[in-house]
Amino acid sequence: MSSAAVFERLTDIWESPPTLWGWLSTVDHKKIGKRYLVTAFLFLVIGGIEAAILRLQLARSDQALLTPEAYNQIFTMHGMTMIFWYASPILSGFANYLIPLMLGARDMAFPRVNAFTYWSFLLSGTFLYISPIMGQAPHSGWFAYAPYTSLKYSPGYGMDFYCLALIFLTISTTAGAINFIVTIFRLRAPGMAISRMPLFMYSTMTVSFVIVASLPALTAACTFLELDRRWHTHFFDLAGNGNPILWQQLFWFFGHPWVYVVFLPATGMVSMILPVFCRRPIVGYPYVAISTVLTGVVGFGVWVHHMFAVGMTQMAMSFFSAGSMTISIFTTVQVFAWIATLWKGRPVLTASMHFVLGFIGMLVVGGLSGVFTAIIPADWQVHDTYFVVAHLHYVLVGANMFPVFAAFYYWLPKITGRMMDEYLGKWSFWVMFIGFNLAFFPMHIAGLNGMPRRIYTYPPGYGLDGVNALSTIGAYILALGILISIINLFISVRSGRIAGKNPWNADTLEWDTESPPPPYGSIHIPTVVSRHPLWDEHDETHDPTGERILDQGRLTLATSALDAVPNAISRMPEDTIAPLLLAMAMFVFFIALVFQAMWLTLAGAVAIMLVSFYWLWPEAEIARAEA
Amino acid sequence: MSTFVAPSVVPPETRRPLPALPFEADRGKHAMLLVIATEAFLFISLFFSYFYLAQNKGRWQHNEPPKLMLALIMLVVLFASSVVLHWGEKQVKNGNSASGRIALIGTLLLGIAFFIIQIYEYMDHWHSLTPFTNSYGSIFYAITSFHALHLIVGLLILAYVLVLPHYRPTDESPYLPYKVASMYWHFVDLIWFFIVGILYIGPHL
Repeated sequence: MSSAAVFERLTDIWESPPTLWGWLSTVDHKKIGKRYLVTAFLFLVIGGIEAAILRLQLARSDQALLTPEAYNQIFTMHGMTMIFWYASPILSGFANYLIPLMLGARDMAFPRVNAFTYWSFLLSGTFLYISPIMGQAPHSGWFAYAPYTSLKYSPGYGMDFYCLALIFLTISTTAGAINFIVTIFRLRAPGMAISRMPLFMYSTMTVSFVIVASLPALTAACTFLELDRRWHTHFFDLAGNGNPILWQQLFWFFGHPWVYVVFLPATGMVSMILPVFCRRPIVGYPYVAISTVLTGVVGFGVWVHHMFAVGMTQMAMSFFSAGSMTISIFTTVQVFAWIATLWKGRPVLTASMHFVLGFIGMLVVGGLSGVFTAIIPADWQVHDTYFVVAHLHYVLVGANMFPVFAAFYYWLPKITGRMMDEYLGKWSFWVMFIGFNLAFFPMHIAGLNGMPRRIYTYPPGYGLDGVNALSTIGAYILALGILISIINLFISVRSGRIAGKNPWNADTLEWDTESPPPPYGSIHIPTVVSRHPLWDEHDETHDPTGERILDQGRLTLATSALDAVPNAISRMPEDTIAPLLLAMAMFVFFIALVFQAMWLTLAGAVAIMLVSFYWLWPEAEIARAEA
Repeated sequence: MSTFVAPSVVPPETRRPLPALPFEADRGKHAMLLVIATEAFLFISLFFSYFYLAQNKGRWQHNEPPKLMLALIMLVVLFASSVVLHWGEKQVKNGNSASGRIALIGTLLLGIAFFIIQIYEYMDHWHSLTPFTNSYGSIFYAITSFHALHLIVGLLILAYVLVLPHYRPTDESPYLPYKVASMYWHFVDLIWFFIVGILYIGPHL
């Protein structure tokens, strides 16, 4: 068969039709990945606008731009949006787009589940944003401590939206994690043994296991809270023999591992970008891989460090303090591996590399203030002050947003097929870097001077005016830096230089496909003999007999979990509307539950059931049996 | 690339030529194992909450421990359903789909029987304890009704497997959905084992 005929046949098999129906029912991981990236970035913009409003209110002492209640609602929405609907989904977006390409697979292991995770992520975010439109947004901060969240102190529907939006998102995130795990273990290219996987795969796999194990605690906590609020139970109610601290235990058992969920994949991306721009393999690959996994494991033993101010036995506090300091060792291993790679390599300072280097610097600052707060007396001193706000923004913005921008500058040429402008990119970096440090470094000082977090204003004359004014100016400079990158993206899509297959001369498989990649990835499923497929002498697509074209329908290769020896051929599903329908049925279910419209809730549950039945109906099997 | 040379360039071996490979049939099982793992962590969170709420309260001494009789009967019923389903799975694997279907119907009936006994147990229990009494009532009914919800989902999945069409003109019924559904059902049964141990027998000790 000629290559043009193969090309046409594969396109025919894998492409979704360019109609509205095709758009809604596609299961292509590249389309879903792009949607994830765009949607999560929109949530970043929304959360950023909320932050800008907050900083305006705090720019000077005794301002009355916002009422206290409005301030509470906006900072809660800011936290929830950034932590739940931006930080993790943007990484899922990259993982969705890149992992099948890096593995040499044609799609994720469960393409329909993949579509479902996107739609339910989108609809859960929409669900959450109904509450500010009603004027009743959650107002308790993103960790929503009981008993403040009980109906008595938080009337209205805000906290109900909080609970149910999070449960809804939990379903989406867990389904996505299961999909990543099975994909990474079963669909790697022949020869990509577990010791040759790109490091991004290690971090995504680790956080997927973390998600599977930690999110149920959040589901339980939110269920209890909703039951307490609307169904008169006594989980967090002292008068009914309950215990408000139970909320904190459950929430942080989920919450601290979640910090690693939004952090580890970002370090995984850095571990892939940095070596490419240092023109050499990463130093200490096995140590980076092992410390990534260990961060995920030990991350389950540190949650109580959020609760040192609660009061507990010396033994418990010592244990969790030690755990919190231990975990910094694993991050340090990664940092030293990056520094050694820089040292031994020949760094090329692209825009992407700027963001990577900025990330390393800020991770060190945020990590050190983290060790600071792991020490109990110091933690008591700065608990609930702006010092903690500074710490968490250095870790979350420094170690999530900067790597994400590095990844945009690195991988967008693959996704759009056109290069980003390097000059504008470097400008964007410096403006963001200066703005970020100007915004958040003074918060350390504000915190040490005693400014509590989550306070809508402060009196003059306490030494807080100057630092807050600086923070506000910094926040707007940071926003300007982000805006430069957004403009850069639009220019690049319109008139950027054509990227070609591998503009960075990178080492991993996704750079072996066209930019943007065709719906099926690469024509021949690649084979791999080293950690750096495109840097070795082996030709990944060498396939003289054409047996790795697999053009008898939607097929991909399944390989063994450790050595990646091909052991089966996986059938992949056709496009279907069922994932969207299921997410919509869940949306109805949760909306009805907020307002306790029990008949509608029941109708939603029945709809979920019917759509699941429709989804699972073995159409393809029946068609094959008849053929 | 100038700096990096792979130590040895040997293409990976395949045990047999690709066209001879079978179609892969494990993905559903892998996903179900992970679903079970995440559900297990949900119940771990619930049991943790039970013990956490109980601390310093002498296990809510003013509440009498729940009666054992019905819970143990329910345990036997569920255990029997798992045995029947496991037998059915073996039958289907060996191509004996008629017996598989009978086993499915048997499992469904036992599951429904469990559910009816549980309603009866709730009605009896309600006189001395409701979810609104105190935190003990709240967590007791939360754990048992979470289990009941999982049981309902399990019943629906089994019923769905029962109505799945035969794929081929032969009388062979689909083995994979059967297998995956029974994994879930065994998990739901196992949880009841822990519930009986922790919620029912524990307070008597």
